[in-house]
Amino acid sequence: MDILPQLILNSIIAGAIYSLVALGFNLIYSTAKFFDLGYGVLTAVGGYTVFFLTKSLGANLYFSVIAGLLVAGLVGFVVEKFVYRPLRKRKSSSMTLLVAALGVFTALQALLAILFSSQFQTLSIDSGSSRTFEIFGGVITEVQLIILLVGFIVMLGLAFLLKKTIFGKAVRAISDDEEVSKIVGLNTEKIMGFVFFIGAAIAGLAGILVGFDTGIEPTMGMSLLLKGVIASIIGGIGNIYGGVIGAFLLGFVENFGIWQISGEWKDAIAFGLLIIFLLFRPQGLIKR
Amino acid sequence: MEYLIHLLILIGIYGILGLSLNLIVGYTGLLSVTQAAFYGIGAYATAILMTALGFNFFSALLIGVLITVLASFLIGFVLSKFRGDYYALGSFGFNIIIFSIFLNWQDLTRGPLGIPGIKRPELFGLNLTSNLSFLILVVIFLILVYLLSRFIINSSFGRALKAIREDEEALQIFGYHTLYYKLAIFVIGAGLAAVAGSLFASYITFVDPSSFTLMESIFILAVIILGGLANLKGSILGAVFMILLPEILRFVGFPNEIAAQMRQVVYGLILIILMLYRPQGLVGEYRL
Amino acid sequence: MKILETKNLTKHFNGVHAVNNLSVKFESGKITGIIGPNGSGKSTLVNLLSGFISIDEGVVVVSESKSFSKIKPYEISFYGITRTFQNIRLFEQMSVLDNILVVLTERRFLSALFEKHGEYHLKKAEEVLTKVGLWGKRHDLAINLSYGQRKLLEIARAMAMEAEIYLLDEPFAGLFPEMVKIISSVIKELKTKGKTIILIEHNMALIRELSDYVFVMDSGSLLAEGEPNAVLSKREVIEAYLGE
Repeated sequence: MDILPQLILNSIIAGAIYSLVALGFNLIYSTAKFFDLGYGVLTAVGGYTVFFLTKSLGANLYFSVIAGLLVAGLVGFVVEKFVYRPLRKRKSSSMTLLVAALGVFTALQALLAILFSSQFQTLSIDSGSSRTFEIFGGVITEVQLIILLVGFIVMLGLAFLLKKTIFGKAVRAISDDEEVSKIVGLNTEKIMGFVFFIGAAIAGLAGILVGFDTGIEPTMGMSLLLKGVIASIIGGIGNIYGGVIGAFLLGFVENFGIWQISGEWKDAIAFGLLIIFLLFRPQGLIKR
Repeated sequence: MEYLIHLLILIGIYGILGLSLNLIVGYTGLLSVTQAAFYGIGAYATAILMTALGFNFFSALLIGVLITVLASFLIGFVLSKFRGDYYALGSFGFNIIIFSIFLNWQDLTRGPLGIPGIKRPELFGLNLTSNLSFLILVVIFLILVYLLSRFIINSSFGRALKAIREDEEALQIFGYHTLYYKLAIFVIGAGLAAVAGSLFASYITFVDPSSFTLMESIFILAVIILGGLANLKGSILGAVFMILLPEILRFVGFPNEIAAQMRQVVYGLILIILMLYRPQGLVGEYRL
Repeated sequence: MKILETKNLTKHFNGVHAVNNLSVKFESGKITGIIGPNGSGKSTLVNLLSGFISIDEGVVVVSESKSFSKIKPYEISFYGITRTFQNIRLFEQMSVLDNILVVLTERRFLSALFEKHGEYHLKKAEEVLTKVGLWGKRHDLAINLSYGQRKLLEIARAMAMEAEIYLLDEPFAGLFPEMVKIISSVIKELKTKGKTIILIEHNMALIRELSDYVFVMDSGSLLAEGEPNAVLSKREVIEAYLGE
């Protein structure tokens, strides 16, 4: 196992996971126009749904994964409907929404800890013995390969949804101007609900994949969320591809950073990158 | 009785933290979520100076405040380049970076092991080892911090802070170099948080990184949002409620692990409910 | 005497020239009206003059020895310039009194920390607030005032600044006649004190009544200028307003 190819592979895998989180976050941010930090905990919601169904009820894996997406999506939908929507209706500032989102995050994360304990748990069935492949001297596991594939598919799917469908047109109209969209007769509330559902489901998916790759814990959301947010911002917020590019850039900087420094500094490196971008290129790599 | 004193000491410490953050968030409108970092720098500085270098409490406190002032000056300067949501996010970043330093600069902080054996203060040969005498010390500091805060907000400087919160661009047109104001109050707020940190370190006689996480910053934010933004008495009222509220949970008889998590759920719900139904908090004079 | 003049002033937004190579001179101690259709660049001009947005090309001359093409917003008041905003910008969650006091008290942050407003500041605040009829409301939050009262408060705040040059961006828009009367008397009073006033306004009757000189803007350029009555009867001016 050579170090450089492995580092590159690790960076790509990290990038794929961050892309997923960034895709969902970006979608929500560009339509609802606030930092939905509550979004982070939905990764854990997805992960724990699968954990509960497979480990406690012995349900079928594929069924559980789909259920995980739906549950995460549903939680996102419900939070939007009962917390964010009333606030938006009242024209609350984005700060108010941000604080409410922090509340959602704190409450849900602790709820998960009560239900499933705060221990680190893995979703993988045959622990440790999953198949691995060698590419250019680096090792990649089957799960990680699936992560890459899924990340790619979700990105294409989301791009298709936003660019080619009526729903996508409506979403873009709302991100340009919610008031005008309302006036021309779009059911903005319904569409917003869908956006949160889809975004949350993507977050759930990311959480599930991380669960299979390494494992899940109730607090996983914050770190994943922040990576997704950082990826979105350095890529160019409000731009699907920007988020993905930002995610891979972040993946590379982190992995090469910890190679040079040390693993414990990973989060600090990520935020260092964010602060540098906010200072010198706040619009991100790709302008909207 | 001893337990009541313990709670009162905590209320005093969080009262100071609340006051310090209210100057920044409530009066100046800077949504800073990094107060735990300054709290931590104060605590660590006191811990290290007292255990490794044999300083007495009061000089350690003073130096801790100075170090925090320097650190917060740099952080505040970077943050002053950001607006609104990005400000909050950038402040998250600094909390995580400072936390990483506590955790990973092991030569200085002993990392996750923490620093034990911090002494209680000595004053004129009087050793404040009993909790009651420590409580008196905390109350004296709380009163001093309260009076200082009141002096600041009643001055012309304080009025300008509120105007920055309301419309910084417009205020500049009237001849205010607002950057100086924002930096000054950020540094003052950080310095006061360091005072709380010193008291905390000396009271618990032990510091480790887990007391200064992002969650802790969110907790301090919840204190002032519950008590009331831009109201000094609100900060203390918020501390009273946030410290005593979980005690009710204890009486209900949850097991310890669950009670800790229940507390988080309650904090989260408080933030959500406040944003939805009473964004100004109990006695606040400013809505986000 | 304060001067205010622009030389080849240019500002574009996304390729559109909001202000295009504009050179105008505002006469001291007079009221200069600026009229023109919506989007003709009037507000952009005021924003440039007050350092509120950055200048792309050209300069603003503020005295015989000083002109700028780049200025920090907080420096603009050093040159005796103050302004009001088309979309009212008050310090919303502050009292009416505080909205005035904040432009009266110390600006340097260290001195401000050790200053409390005194009799002198209160007197001055009372004077300007009484003039616009808001002294009785001094303890109300600005956010709770009616639209008209908010307009009045903005004017009062500008008056409290004791500036030499007042940039007033549609101070009469949407006001009831009695409030129009208050504001126009305030403007006249400023003039008698020898202040320079630049007034953006759509109401031609008010322009005729108040202004000594008028600039007509269209598409970021100067379309016409002169005495109000002469300018307002010009064909191209009427066309610019009614043509589109």
